[in-house]
Amino acid sequence: MSGTARAAADPRVDAAFREWLLRAADDELIIGHRHSEWTGFGPDIESDVALSSIAQEEIGHARAFYAQLAAGGGDADRLAFARAPAEYRHATLMERENDGWEWSIVRLVLYERYEAERLRLLSASGQEPAAGLARTLLREERYHALFADAWLTRLARGREEGHRKVQAALEAAWPEALGLFEETDADATLVAARIVDAPAAQRRRWDAAVRQVLEPCGLVIPSASPKEGGRRGRHTPEFDRLHDQMTEVWRSDPEARW
Amino acid sequence: MGRGVSAEEPPEGAREPAGGGAVRGGDASGAAGRGGSWEGRLDAPPDVWAVFLQARTRDPHIHVGDVHAPDAEMALLVAKENYTRRDPCVNLWVVRAGEIHATTEDAAEMFAPATDKSYRFGGSYRKQQQIYHSGWRLSHRDEDQ
Repeated sequence: MSGTARAAADPRVDAAFREWLLRAADDELIIGHRHSEWTGFGPDIESDVALSSIAQEEIGHARAFYAQLAAGGGDADRLAFARAPAEYRHATLMERENDGWEWSIVRLVLYERYEAERLRLLSASGQEPAAGLARTLLREERYHALFADAWLTRLARGREEGHRKVQAALEAAWPEALGLFEETDADATLVAARIVDAPAAQRRRWDAAVRQVLEPCGLVIPSASPKEGGRRGRHTPEFDRLHDQMTEVWRSDPEARW
Repeated sequence: MGRGVSAEEPPEGAREPAGGGAVRGGDASGAAGRGGSWEGRLDAPPDVWAVFLQARTRDPHIHVGDVHAPDAEMALLVAKENYTRRDPCVNLWVVRAGEIHATTEDAAEMFAPATDKSYRFGGSYRKQQQIYHSGWRLSHRDEDQ
């Protein structure tokens, strides 16, 4: 498979890089799907439209990554919809059901910091065309983070009830947010090839970035250990339900041309 | 906006939600019209922000609609997604709708010329005409759909 990586000379590195891109695509697709479930149910029409728009953009980013993965003979739609749940590589944080607006906002804050970090790594990776795509996508992610931060700040600095709910959402999300950095053999291969740096270093930068948002709101960073599995395809029953619904139309006629 | 509170600033409680953009009959200085006031503050709840969109640099900012938001930052954030998704934009303004002063509907006749003043319209200035028309199209785009 050509096109995804200049390092394609080494098939192990190429496979690891494809795995890494697949995580990015799957993270974007699944969080995009969850955000889209707020359409028609947001706290006000303005934020309903805004989060729906963010959902569209995340799914657009997923599509762009799938297209690069499929370059040279694959099919982006099949990547998105024809895999079994265990073949998806998103972190389990993405698949969790929306449990109140504050939960979705906390997840958005944690994820957007991670996504910005990942896109910066990718844009500096020297791996064209993925690096070029990452530079373009960063433009949209900036707004996503602004929107997430604005909502988080207002919820957490408002009344006591809002603060308590945001703190509870943070406690629930944190272990699986750490699961974003779950390491597999692919990471070791990419680090050795000097394409990305170690997940531990990525996590330190992410940690500093999220603290800058959370701590001024008086939120306490939980001290929990990571909940992993997603990067190895081990997902929760919540993902099975999502997958079933998300792929329903595609499965009704896999040969249809859209 | 850094604008001073004017003398006729209504007390917070006096701002009631009312039909879109009605002008509160001002107790403002002028009192020009016979009977009613000719100007006043837009009667809008404090969480309504008017959104002004600039499509290209050097274009005028055009009023494209309103959003509900607790503060200016949030108003800009939601305005971005609600008003720039389908049209080009390089810059947004938001202003509390209740801070806008407007002429009342009763005062419309003061804009109607009593004698022919078409020589003033400047219609021959093609560029100016373009600006007026592009502005009008943008502010009426919902009706076009």
